[in-house]
Amino acid sequence: MVKTYDLASRRRRIIATFIDFILVPSLTLLFVLILGVIEDPEDFTDRWWIVHILLLAIFSYLLLNGFLLRKFGQTIGKAIMHISIVKSEPNNNGLYYLNLLPIWKILFIRAMFFPLLYMIVIPWFMFAPIIDQILIFGKNRRCLHDYLAGSVVVYLSK
Amino acid sequence: MSFANLDSSECKTSLEKSKHKFSYSSGWGIDQSNTRYQNKSLINKKNADSLKLKWVYGLNHKTPRSYPLITEDTIFIGDNYRGLVALDRETGCERWLYKHDGFFSSAILSGTIEDKKILIFADRFKGIYALDATNGEFIWEAKVTDEILPMYSGTPLVVKDKVFVPVASMEVTLAMNYFYGCCKSSGGMAAFDLKSGELLWYLPTIKEEAGLINSHFWFVQEYGPSGAPVWSSPSYDYELDWIFFGTGQNYSHPTTNTSDAIFAVDAKDGSIMWTRQYTKNDLYTAACNISENHPNCANPMGLDVDFGAPTILTKSLSGQKLLIAGQKSAEIHVMDRFTGKPLWTKKLGQGGIIGGVHWGLAVNEALSLLYVPISDKEALGFTYPGESKPGLYALDISTGDNKWKYSRASRCDDIECTYGLSGAIIATNDIVVSGSMDGFLEIISADKGKLLWSYDSWKDFDSINGVVTNGGAFDAHGPMVADDLLMITSGYSYVGSQKGGNAFLVFQLEQEN
Repeated sequence: MVKTYDLASRRRRIIATFIDFILVPSLTLLFVLILGVIEDPEDFTDRWWIVHILLLAIFSYLLLNGFLLRKFGQTIGKAIMHISIVKSEPNNNGLYYLNLLPIWKILFIRAMFFPLLYMIVIPWFMFAPIIDQILIFGKNRRCLHDYLAGSVVVYLSK
Repeated sequence: MSFANLDSSECKTSLEKSKHKFSYSSGWGIDQSNTRYQNKSLINKKNADSLKLKWVYGLNHKTPRSYPLITEDTIFIGDNYRGLVALDRETGCERWLYKHDGFFSSAILSGTIEDKKILIFADRFKGIYALDATNGEFIWEAKVTDEILPMYSGTPLVVKDKVFVPVASMEVTLAMNYFYGCCKSSGGMAAFDLKSGELLWYLPTIKEEAGLINSHFWFVQEYGPSGAPVWSSPSYDYELDWIFFGTGQNYSHPTTNTSDAIFAVDAKDGSIMWTRQYTKNDLYTAACNISENHPNCANPMGLDVDFGAPTILTKSLSGQKLLIAGQKSAEIHVMDRFTGKPLWTKKLGQGGIIGGVHWGLAVNEALSLLYVPISDKEALGFTYPGESKPGLYALDISTGDNKWKYSRASRCDDIECTYGLSGAIIATNDIVVSGSMDGFLEIISADKGKLLWSYDSWKDFDSINGVVTNGGAFDAHGPMVADDLLMITSGYSYVGSQKGGNAFLVFQLEQEN
């Protein structure tokens, strides 16, 4: 018999997102510090320092979450909270199988929304993460990025 | 007097009539001595109260920082992130626009290349530009390549075939970044060829190469010495062929003896004739605005009392040639021009981040008076020892004796409406014109310090170009006078919590019928 899973609670999803929200920039800043990408005046003679930081942020995201996402459909935050990204294909009982979403959908659709979270501190731009996240309060507990990627997040009960 | 509202076709007609024979200023300081005394003026004590608003031009930015150049028929002014505009002096309509996506930091200067009139201006971050004054066509642009991140905050000075360019550094604000290793750059003075824009010489104010001095967060390496930026236009002595200018504070250890100092430099080759330091060990960057414990805020933090205002060359009634410098510490220093030997120093207020003396003084040689605007406004939460004494002071040039002081209460208790004179002033005939941070443009009698006329600019205006326009604080380069016209930009939102605005105001003496 194939095991089925129920939707993750909103509380678990929000805490998982918060953990990732802190971890990714922390590792990025560590790389920025070690590599000195904004340490010298030469770094500011053009705008490439912005690209350098962006690339380090993407690298940090993949370093922290790449393996877990590929293997288990989880980021570190989701692993800690025992939740996982799966395909939105419920059975007749409204439960989900552990059908992992293809990695390309995770990276090129779902993960594209992650940087939007940081816009929450910028007036006007804050509407982008709000619009994405507010849908989680719907019946299906799916954010905008879930609808676009065809995913849901389930609780991996012990 | 009413607002003119001409269409562009009428403007083009007026362009054809443009003579452009002369201008009403030869630099930021009206003359190359930086006296800020306008002798081509009809405004005086008797008629000042008949000044009326003639027209208003709506600028593109709430912190305009361009000082106009006036000719017999045109007003040139920089409009941030839009370009340099040539306005019909009579109507304010736009003759032409040189599109420029940048921040104008200087006065507009006039020069001549083989009988062709040109305009020079500084973009704070991009460099120096030369345009054809008749149509705004680009001629050349120049940058200082000896420094990594030069900032062109001060107005250049055109003398004969040279353009002298004061150089500061962007590191003063980059230091706010915790991951930045402060600081490697020096301030300096550069001379460019007026015709080609080619660099002729560059004089850094700190000769020593910055070396590794420390590190923070394990990985971020700190450097020094650094700083001693030049924020303002030099003054030029024709007889000596020297230029004079002041410097700012150091950014990082070790401190140098060229920070918060006055330089006398040979205009031919940039060799130093003498320097005199007035404040030692002044260390400060914008990192200190965040916290004194910021790794890029040197310990001990200094008072940031640089020489932001240009030096003035003048002479006493007895004919003694003097050099005057106003400091953000609210001190006035008067020196012998040839040696830099101090003759007298006077402290007028408590000083501060935006002065004390911030942008500029003025002189009336006939009255032997030096006019000193004092800001003394608390900015960025820094408090300075002593009592705040904002206002306009008149000092005897020879002795430093205080002849009069004009001051008044602030508009209201909010920090935005604090009274104080941060912006530069101008003197003409028997009056002095000042704009205050709480938005009043005022004319004061030159001999007694009495208020003759006042205009409240904190309002909305119907601009000639249809841009939504409001007034704000008077700051930065201050007022300009030409014949029967008085003009100034109202609005300046910067480190002093001033009120932003975008109004370029042109007043005119009411004509008698």
